Amino acid sequence: MPEIKVTPLGAGQDVGRSCILVSIAGKNVMLDCGMHMGYNDDRRFPDFSYITQNGRLTDFLDCVIISHFHLDHCGALPYFSEMVGYDGPIYMTHPTKAICPILLEDYRKITVDKKGETNFFTSQMIKDCMKKVVAVHLHQTVQVDEELEIKAYYAGHVLGAAMFQIKVGCESVVYTGDYNMTPDRHLGAAWIDKCRPDLLISESTYATTIRDSKRCRERDFLKKVHETVERGGKVLIPVFALGRAQELCILLETFWERMNLKAPIYFSTGLTEKANHYYKLFITWTNQKIRKTFVQRNMFEFKHIKAFDRAFADNPGPMVVFATPGMLHAGQSLQIFRKWAGNEKNMVIMPGYCVQGTVGHKILSGQRKLEMEGRQILEVKMQVEYMSFSAHADAKGIMQLIRQAEPRNVLLVHGEAKKMEFLKQKIEQEFHVSCYMPANGETTTIFTNPSIPVDISLGLLKRETAIGLLPDGKKPKLMHGTLIMKDNSFRLVSPEQALKELGLAEHQLRFTCRVHIQDPRKEHETVLRVYNHLKGVLKDYSVQHLPDGSITVESILIQATAHSEDQGTKVLLVSWTYQDEELGSYLTSLLKKGLPQSTS
Amino acid sequence: HQIRLKTTPQRDPTFHTRLPRCNTASPAPHGNNAAPHTPLPFSPQGGGRVPPFPSQPPALTGFNRPRPLVSHFPPPPPPPAGRSAASPLRDAVWCQRGAGRALPWRRWAPGKRRRREEKKKKSGCCSPCACEGAPAPVPVPLRVPRPPPQPPLRPSPRRYEDLHAFELQAPTRLIEWARGNRVCVAGYGQSGGNEILQLLPPPTLQVKETQGLCPERDFKVECGGFSNRPVYSLKYVPDTSLLVTSGPPDSSLQVWQVSAEDSDVIKPVGAIPTVNGTGQPWAKIATVSTRAPWVLHGSRLNSVQITEVESRKNVYMAASSNSEELSGLAFLDGNTLLLCCAKGQLCLADARQPQSPLEAVSVPSAPCGERWCMGVGRGPQGSDSSSQPVACLSSGGHLTLTDLRKTSESLASAKCRVPSPSSGAEFLCVSWAPALEGCLAISGFDGTVHVYDTQSWDSSGREAEPIFVHRGHAFGGSDSSGGPPLVTVHTWHPQKPRTLLSAASDGSLHVWDWVQSCGKCG
Repeated sequence: MPEIKVTPLGAGQDVGRSCILVSIAGKNVMLDCGMHMGYNDDRRFPDFSYITQNGRLTDFLDCVIISHFHLDHCGALPYFSEMVGYDGPIYMTHPTKAICPILLEDYRKITVDKKGETNFFTSQMIKDCMKKVVAVHLHQTVQVDEELEIKAYYAGHVLGAAMFQIKVGCESVVYTGDYNMTPDRHLGAAWIDKCRPDLLISESTYATTIRDSKRCRERDFLKKVHETVERGGKVLIPVFALGRAQELCILLETFWERMNLKAPIYFSTGLTEKANHYYKLFITWTNQKIRKTFVQRNMFEFKHIKAFDRAFADNPGPMVVFATPGMLHAGQSLQIFRKWAGNEKNMVIMPGYCVQGTVGHKILSGQRKLEMEGRQILEVKMQVEYMSFSAHADAKGIMQLIRQAEPRNVLLVHGEAKKMEFLKQKIEQEFHVSCYMPANGETTTIFTNPSIPVDISLGLLKRETAIGLLPDGKKPKLMHGTLIMKDNSFRLVSPEQALKELGLAEHQLRFTCRVHIQDPRKEHETVLRVYNHLKGVLKDYSVQHLPDGSITVESILIQATAHSEDQGTKVLLVSWTYQDEELGSYLTSLLKKGLPQSTS
Repeated sequence: HQIRLKTTPQRDPTFHTRLPRCNTASPAPHGNNAAPHTPLPFSPQGGGRVPPFPSQPPALTGFNRPRPLVSHFPPPPPPPAGRSAASPLRDAVWCQRGAGRALPWRRWAPGKRRRREEKKKKSGCCSPCACEGAPAPVPVPLRVPRPPPQPPLRPSPRRYEDLHAFELQAPTRLIEWARGNRVCVAGYGQSGGNEILQLLPPPTLQVKETQGLCPERDFKVECGGFSNRPVYSLKYVPDTSLLVTSGPPDSSLQVWQVSAEDSDVIKPVGAIPTVNGTGQPWAKIATVSTRAPWVLHGSRLNSVQITEVESRKNVYMAASSNSEELSGLAFLDGNTLLLCCAKGQLCLADARQPQSPLEAVSVPSAPCGERWCMGVGRGPQGSDSSSQPVACLSSGGHLTLTDLRKTSESLASAKCRVPSPSSGAEFLCVSWAPALEGCLAISGFDGTVHVYDTQSWDSSGREAEPIFVHRGHAFGGSDSSGGPPLVTVHTWHPQKPRTLLSAASDGSLHVWDWVQSCGKCG
């Protein structure tokens, strides 16, 4: 039986370093190639030696697909392609292709230049890696090779995030990457058509979460920012260059405009500026509203938000600053944080997740005295707030996507297995599909039941439908014909046509059976009795008495002869073709019961 | 720079012409597939399903909005006496949700729109706000007939300290607190496959004082189970990991085991059948564990009994020939039972005297023909539980407070200004605030929850003024039957004084912490 094998190398029952191997109909595809932000050792990258110990990776993989530009989905790509060695195609969407190298380069700088790590990929490697990338459009079917095709769907999570359908023949897998089912200010909601894949691989980061409405979350955020600004404090919002930063920028911009606030808003130069540039470029990937209005005014050209200069941090009075990076581990956001941390009027709002070891993680876990470089102690007096603005699908969103795609099997990654048994049962109950949650390195095998298209000749179809009742679309119908498998195609034709095409003569298979009947009368009288009996029983069939003394029931022939030894026993020869097997065996069993005593 | 140049899609001249086509394929399914209970009229994506009205900006409207704008307006008129809490203008925060449907929105919107036009003229800004659904550059095309002029908006004070709005996948008619400030909700659909969910509230709700740090504002599903019958009532059995549920079609109880460490599934472990339970109304339940895990249950006065949960042994059976239907029952302490009939009588019983006759200790003072329900408060620490008055609420909006030590007359009574319940008093609910003396909340009449301060009440029974009305649910989507959402249940946070949780028939679950308006609440 055909099967699909899925092995997560990362992200199985875990968040971070997403990397999933799928082997479908003899094709091997790697979905995402991410790294774990929380580790600095071997665990940072997926274990690619699983794919092959000593052979060339390119021989074992048909393609690599990257769903979006977050480092936990693409961070290991240069390592994989340049250091481990992979020369095959890498597919990603246009925005991902544009933004991904910037993030990789930024991360490389932090690890190599700041932390002084060696054995890390270089700038040149990032460039070489990006040369192997093939960019795809939304809903564009890309033929990887003759059999393997992929297609991207909108996922909403960040700019350029996509879900991918991988199809070989009639077997298919959909990989969602990270997706968001509720549209927000700058991105739309994920959408997929009813493609009925054999397997849906879905992320489930927020699967056990019932999310507070966006409205209430934003209200809370704005309230905190506004309160701080009103009392003359400064607000620092460390953000990742792309993703929620733009959402928050639009949110604050709108709020400032409505409230007529005068306090300046800045975003740190560099990454965010570049990012806004990309949003302007890829306006088609944003939501409809922004697409519609950008002719009059580009949503990403902010009126109230200006570029930040290092000197501004010391300016008196309230201000709001968006600064990168988001985890306060380096760069501008950390510089500003150190300047402002001492004043309890100020506030830092962390809009996202922070990995262990970063300043962001420390202050979120309640630490108030931080040891900075050079044994300096920084006392944090400013208020620390944490708001989650990440755009992931929650349990409801996952159910919604399953309803949209109607997969035959569901596989969840990014979640804790222990906590997901309920969700698994829920999916199985509601959609009657199997649900899997493999751990890293664990292989899940899914047996598929591929449907095979067969062409049927019109003549046969007409003939077969003419026999039975009117065709009912919902019920299976039995058809008789000859299946010809030739040149990789299947055709169902009538037997005569098949014989003609193949140049074969028709053979007939006949069954003959003897039935003994006790009847002392003459043969022709016995025949007459049998004839009358059959005519009485088989009212719906044409029973004929032929002049040569035999009886036909449809195409079945019955002849009577006297027994050679016992004249009182008559032997009935019943003969029928294979096609009339049913009627023939019925007739024999009928005759074996004997004739009725009363003669007519 | 090199990379950027290489990777910009401008290399592909067809990029801009091609992509829109790709995207046009998606909006229609977006519209069709968007869950009906998340209308999000302000959603920027929903091009095809933008409501006929220009949607309201989200989130911003509710608080503080007008403060800096106050100077643009003539001084606000004095609030109409006695209508302050009910004023639709104050509900701005809700208005985006019910865009176009809820009446208050209609009344409120044009004023706001007008004001925005004024503002636009002043600032010379012709661009739309980021969240508006309407094409803004055109002077707002009014698709609704302009109502008669209204007084300008007065700056509405903040109404909520904090507000959370959740969407459950199925509506619940119970919110039950469990150990560690967990809450439990359950579906009550007739079709089976009802979920029982034990939720871990967001950190903001778990601490007494609002700390600065609240990473998430979301409920976490800690464990869940599936019930094939509707769950109308659910109680945790104290000191065990069991819970007991009841619901139609008969008066039997189901017992569940809340999962162990290794699983998050609430498993059914058995049932407590009742004699002649078929055809009876669903059983009301109360649990206690002073001597052993007991469950008190019954659907009629003569079927009240106490069963030991683990051994299924009957330890008490009420002796009564009265087959009055019950609307609620409770343990006042380990031994004293309080029963409330749908017709309003209260009965006291003692579990130590099995077969003791039940006696009605009070009769309602309001006209009969109404359904009643009761709310038992927890007395102050150490005091006798019977010292706390019992509140009885009728479907006609009558509230009586009864001191159980002196049941001959009611302590106080009042008439609440509520519509007659459209659900046949099925969801009637009254509850005492555990951390706010003398305050109680009622719901079940429409899409609102009213909070009253009973301290000034007397026995005159005159109309009482709520100190707060939560209208959020009324602006939600419609429920399964297409009607406006009804509040099915509400409950107070056990520690936070002004925080309530309320659920409605559209599946919404709100957690709100209202702002005390000065000098009004005791």
